[in-house]
Amino acid sequence: MTENDILSDLTIILRDLLGDDSIMLAMDTQREHVPNWDSFNYINFMVAVEQKFRVKFKVSDIETFPNVGAIVRQIAALRPGA
Amino acid sequence: MLFNSVPFIFGFLPLVLAGFYTLGHWRRDWAILWLILASLCFYAWWRPLNVLLITPSILINYVLARIIQHRVDERPGIARTALIAGIVFNLCFLGYFKYINFFGVVAGDVFGVNMVFANVILPLGISFITFQKIAFLVDVHSGRVTSFTLKDYALFVLFFPQLVAGPIVHYREMMPQFHAAPCRFHADDMAIGIVLFFFGLFKKAVLADSIAAYVSPLYADAAHGAQITLFHAWIAAIGFMLQIYYDFAGYSEMALGLARFFGVKLPVNFFSPLKAASVIEFWQRWHMTLTRFLTAYLYNPMTLALTRRRMARGAPASSATSSPSAFITLIAFPTIVTFAICGMWHGAGYTYIVWGFIHGVLLTINQGWRALRRAYLPRRMVIGSPLRFVGRALTFLSVVAAVVIFRAPTVGVALVIWKGMIAINGATMPQGYFDHGGVLVWILQTAHVRPDPSSGMLFIAAWLWIAGLLAVAWTMPNVLQILRNYDPALGISALAPPGEKQNNWLSWRPTTAWSVSMAVIAAAGILSLGQLSEFLYWQF
Repeated sequence: MTENDILSDLTIILRDLLGDDSIMLAMDTQREHVPNWDSFNYINFMVAVEQKFRVKFKVSDIETFPNVGAIVRQIAALRPGA
Repeated sequence: MLFNSVPFIFGFLPLVLAGFYTLGHWRRDWAILWLILASLCFYAWWRPLNVLLITPSILINYVLARIIQHRVDERPGIARTALIAGIVFNLCFLGYFKYINFFGVVAGDVFGVNMVFANVILPLGISFITFQKIAFLVDVHSGRVTSFTLKDYALFVLFFPQLVAGPIVHYREMMPQFHAAPCRFHADDMAIGIVLFFFGLFKKAVLADSIAAYVSPLYADAAHGAQITLFHAWIAAIGFMLQIYYDFAGYSEMALGLARFFGVKLPVNFFSPLKAASVIEFWQRWHMTLTRFLTAYLYNPMTLALTRRRMARGAPASSATSSPSAFITLIAFPTIVTFAICGMWHGAGYTYIVWGFIHGVLLTINQGWRALRRAYLPRRMVIGSPLRFVGRALTFLSVVAAVVIFRAPTVGVALVIWKGMIAINGATMPQGYFDHGGVLVWILQTAHVRPDPSSGMLFIAAWLWIAGLLAVAWTMPNVLQILRNYDPALGISALAPPGEKQNNWLSWRPTTAWSVSMAVIAAAGILSLGQLSEFLYWQF
């Protein structure tokens, strides 16, 4: 699974979560750039991501991901067989 | 020693800066030691005994942090035990000084027992210091802080510009700055620091303290059993909102300015919160470093654990707003708990807990509304529509109503003001307005407004102050936006990018016009320094 595949799955998860099909995530997207992606939705997004990719993030990682790219790279690193 | 006092502005600060810059010329280490010593003196000024409390607490936290750091990889159990011990120690420290008397009151109310504890005096800034120390231990445990010395840690805890009332900072955002600071006089930092400091002083000494004079008597009257009527109750509510707004804005700007004198930028803590169009947005603009702390160390871990547990039991990986039970478990519960604790953090009393609970409920309603809006309203109605204006008005009314209990000495006094705000106590205006007859009297009598013995001049002055202060808060750029081209605070670029369109005449530049303006603002602030007037947030 490439980083682009992960990014595309993240986009789908976030679109479902926020009910906004216009969202297009990029590696440098930050939470502040996406309308309504506040701290409330962020946790739900992260757990949905954990479920989808069967990974588990540390709380400290979740708080410090600077952008979507960091999440993508962490998923790639944590996935079985990575 | 208050930032807004003559001994601080004309004695302590110039002396500390002169020593810091002079020692920095020879050795940076000496300048840093001088700053730590000065910060201890600043803390001791209020009550010297406090130094004997804070110093052992710093040493204990430092030792625990070292244990965590050295054991986290090889013996994670020991590191975790040290972390828990540190958190418990800090909470007990805070609990004893801040809450012991309140626990006695609660025990008396619930069990009818008369528990009187020794008269414990609250050490200054203990709530802020405790949160920073806990955050540091958690950061060491999670690997976000990997190296530190006792000197660095002492400076992190004691740095006097943010020691007493924040911003609540992270070690990892402060220490790289201290390590890079030249510890010498730098004209740019001095200029930016002066602008921030004196704008802050002006807000505190001229604006906040002025409106306080109209607000405080109303709460005192209510506490003495007076019924507060409609217009006076709204003066009490909006007036206090504006008092605490300018008080905390003033403090936060002064703290930023003071830190800048030492070549250090503090994080943004206050960003025009009355422009918020929702309560969620309000908390992203009001006391931002507290929101950041609560989100990172309380709300997120709680929600994460609840969400994982729920999904492990087979719940779908969908939004927390997808079903009422998900909403209650994943949004309402953690939000209300977090903000009840936030209320209690502000003060040991029922009023603060109720205030926090109200904000938790408001935030939950806000989240519920967002979910409904996403589900049922077309997108084009959501963005850039009059909804933002409605949102701003509702947010303002909500936070104004809630702040009444933050200010009131008891829940009963808050109820008196709230009743007044919905006209249960009737409506009155000063007798003077009824004396001259004419259309005004006819209008007042038709609207069932009765005369009262209060001063007509004070009444109109209070409303003029409110109108003026609201106009500034709603329409003017804030000081960080005015200074945005000079990077006045950490995190400002995300809130006010340097290229953001704004009236040019309001962007600060080192010009004669701005120098004269700043001199007038500084003079007004200094000339307004009268009686001791503590920042409202210093009591927390």
